[in-house]
Amino acid sequence: MFSNEEIAVFMEELDEKIQVISDNLLTMEKGEDSPEVLQEIFRAAHTIKGSSAVMGYDRMSTLTHQIENLFEQLRQHSLPVTAPLIDTLFEALDTLHALRDEITGEGEEVDTSAVTAKIAAFKEDTELGGTGEDPGQQKTGLKTKAAADNTAAADIALPQLEETDETLITQAQLKGFNAYWVTIVLDQHTQMKEVRAFIVFETLQEKGEIIKSDPPAEDVQEGNFEHHFTVILLTEEDTDHITNLATSVADVKDVRVQEVLLSRDAAVAEEVTPSATLPAREDQQQNPTQGQKKISTSKTVRVDVQKLDTLMNLVGELVIDRTRLNRFTDVFESQYGSDDLAESLMEISSHLGQVTTDLQDEIMKARMLPVSYVFNRFPRMVRDIAQKMDKEVEFTIEGKETELDRNVIEIIGDPLIHLLRNSIDHGIEPPEVRVKTGKPRKGKVQLKASYVESHIVITLEDDGKGMDPEKLRSKIVEKGLVSAEQAQRLHKREILDYIFAPGFSTTENVNDISGRGVGMDIVRSQIEQINGSVEFNSIPGQGTTFTIKLPLTLAIINALMVTLGKHTYAFPLTHIVETLAIEQDEIKLVRHSEVVIVRGSVLPLVRLSSVFNQQPDDEENSRLYVVVLGSGDRKVGVVVDRLLGEQEIVIKSLGSYMGHVDNLSGATILGDGKVALIVDPRGIIKESGTNAEDVGYAEAN
Amino acid sequence: MVDANYLDQQVVVFDLDQQVYGVPIDAVLEIIRMEKITPIPQAPDFIEGIIEIRGRVIPVMDLRKRFGLQVAEYTQSTRIIIVDMDSNSMGIIVDSVAEVLQISSGNVEPPPSVIGSVDQSFIQGVALLEKRMIILLDLAKVLQDEEKEVLESIMTAEQNV
Repeated sequence: MFSNEEIAVFMEELDEKIQVISDNLLTMEKGEDSPEVLQEIFRAAHTIKGSSAVMGYDRMSTLTHQIENLFEQLRQHSLPVTAPLIDTLFEALDTLHALRDEITGEGEEVDTSAVTAKIAAFKEDTELGGTGEDPGQQKTGLKTKAAADNTAAADIALPQLEETDETLITQAQLKGFNAYWVTIVLDQHTQMKEVRAFIVFETLQEKGEIIKSDPPAEDVQEGNFEHHFTVILLTEEDTDHITNLATSVADVKDVRVQEVLLSRDAAVAEEVTPSATLPAREDQQQNPTQGQKKISTSKTVRVDVQKLDTLMNLVGELVIDRTRLNRFTDVFESQYGSDDLAESLMEISSHLGQVTTDLQDEIMKARMLPVSYVFNRFPRMVRDIAQKMDKEVEFTIEGKETELDRNVIEIIGDPLIHLLRNSIDHGIEPPEVRVKTGKPRKGKVQLKASYVESHIVITLEDDGKGMDPEKLRSKIVEKGLVSAEQAQRLHKREILDYIFAPGFSTTENVNDISGRGVGMDIVRSQIEQINGSVEFNSIPGQGTTFTIKLPLTLAIINALMVTLGKHTYAFPLTHIVETLAIEQDEIKLVRHSEVVIVRGSVLPLVRLSSVFNQQPDDEENSRLYVVVLGSGDRKVGVVVDRLLGEQEIVIKSLGSYMGHVDNLSGATILGDGKVALIVDPRGIIKESGTNAEDVGYAEAN
Repeated sequence: MVDANYLDQQVVVFDLDQQVYGVPIDAVLEIIRMEKITPIPQAPDFIEGIIEIRGRVIPVMDLRKRFGLQVAEYTQSTRIIIVDMDSNSMGIIVDSVAEVLQISSGNVEPPPSVIGSVDQSFIQGVALLEKRMIILLDLAKVLQDEEKEVLESIMTAEQNV
């Protein structure tokens, strides 16, 4: 039986390969069935077949074997690429996924017979005839082009790897060596093959070490072999170099150099041979002349996320202690400035500071994952939705290598799926409508991720019909979200903001993709939960762009520190628009609510002291400081005593006993060991919403 | 019935309003001196606020307020006992911490009907040691949040109708 760890490794590889097949199928569907694409799929399927057979997942290995055969024919051009074929392949891919879930216990038992029959039907259509073979038996019905007396290196079977060989190879790989199978075919008519073989051995050993030979080295040296032999070479050189080296020996007719596959990691084999096609064998694969892939198993270690979280917490504590030590050092310095002890204390303290900062950065990086983890599922999803809705969509992704904290990654998947669905369902028009309005048949949907300062920004843009504020205006009245009179008073922007209201949906007909009226509000709350923000811009007839701004990590945020009375509070920078200093007499009253006029527009004010029922400073300050918060299109100014400045803070939860406290999103620990509360800007904005109407009224007058 | 918590084990003994109380030592993480507490707006009145202990934020309750006793000034001997129940940590403010005692089950009695002015539901039992009476607290009850309590009392009241 295999250990959980081994199964986990297999699963990870499986997911990766399924992704590769999926991506390349989508490329194929666009009509780019270049040899490289076919090759990629073929190789991925081959790898899954091999490793699943090793693991004993027979149905999976049978299915991938069939997929592989199909691609073998596609590569030979004995089978045309058709839409039904692609659909069948996607179905096969889904079945693979289902099989995977069955193994992990997440899914039901899978019946593979339907899809295998479909694949078989395609095979029978070809003039080759069904190959009708059992899985595990590595035969194909293809004839090699090489004549019998003219063996190509590619046709020579590789010997079995012994366990001792594997150990040697693994050790060599750890040291950065490559392990290659080198197959040498000598000319049929060569006079002294043992001499030639000897020279080949010598030549190769100048560049590395031969650890195995088939037939055994003694036999080769004595000439007891059939014009060809295979060795395993450990070397730092690349395949091209070795190929050139071996070919340079006289009477060598054909050379094949490929990476050794260990049974554990069926890595990509390098194949350098002029031969056009080969039978697929368990131990040999063809590789297009793409960049070399090296086995990199030796360079990674799998770590439980829990461990990383613990590390992060420890670093958080270190950061706090460092800040405290710094303060202590300052005091120490002012008292015993010239003392040697004080000098060394300062030195230690500053060095500790540097190390802590670096440690924090490194651990943060270790927790990061590229957004492709989420994005990779999308192309296939978009294709399926578009097909279902009879729409034509050209979907592009940019910046999928952008890295994010894994907690953030886990959360953004759902909101993005939702937005994508909406985009295709509500945004992109049917092809004939698009043509009528002078747009290209295919709708464009673009997903982009990029860094902006210490944030990541994800934009989702479509060139669909956009949102019409007037249409929405009547919609929200109809839905009973606002009264007709109120609706008339709303700004265009405010109306658009209603798409985030609970219970809002614009589709006339409810389908299974979107339009149930749950969604946008959840999208917004999910994103805001992780201190992100979502905004959008829509031009009727031209399309809609959603912009999601996310923090790179959840554990540490930039905050503006303020004081109120004796206490310090932190405002997350994500929701701060600006800060103002105003005079007491600038504050106006509108229906008992305080407002202030900023650059011609009315800004409602909230006093932090009244939010938290706390005493502000007694001094009658004529100058007041205002932190302007914004979410979506709503703004509110929060009056505080003093602004202290910006700081990176580590977020701590208030614990389960306190649970959720209104207008607070947690606490943080300051340099002097004191605890400061983190204000929840969204709560305050929401609460002030009641006087937003008054403000609207004030603006109207 | 007296909870097994208190059978044959060590108890941290502290003073509160001239009474002696005990909590099982297994539930005690540490005992610290009084320090600056950050108040939390809109929290129940007996929650003084939060403090930080080695990177964790922990709420602190004033046990006098919790038990509805006379509120007193904090002194040099005031201590915060950090307890942990079902991975819920809480600091409880007490007048002073005396000692750790070994209690054997033979000395534990179920709570009498009236003890001082402390609500009986917070008490698990009473231990008699060398002419001293130690009130053994039911920490789970002490740390339970108010809302649940109110709900429960309503429920029981309804059942009694």
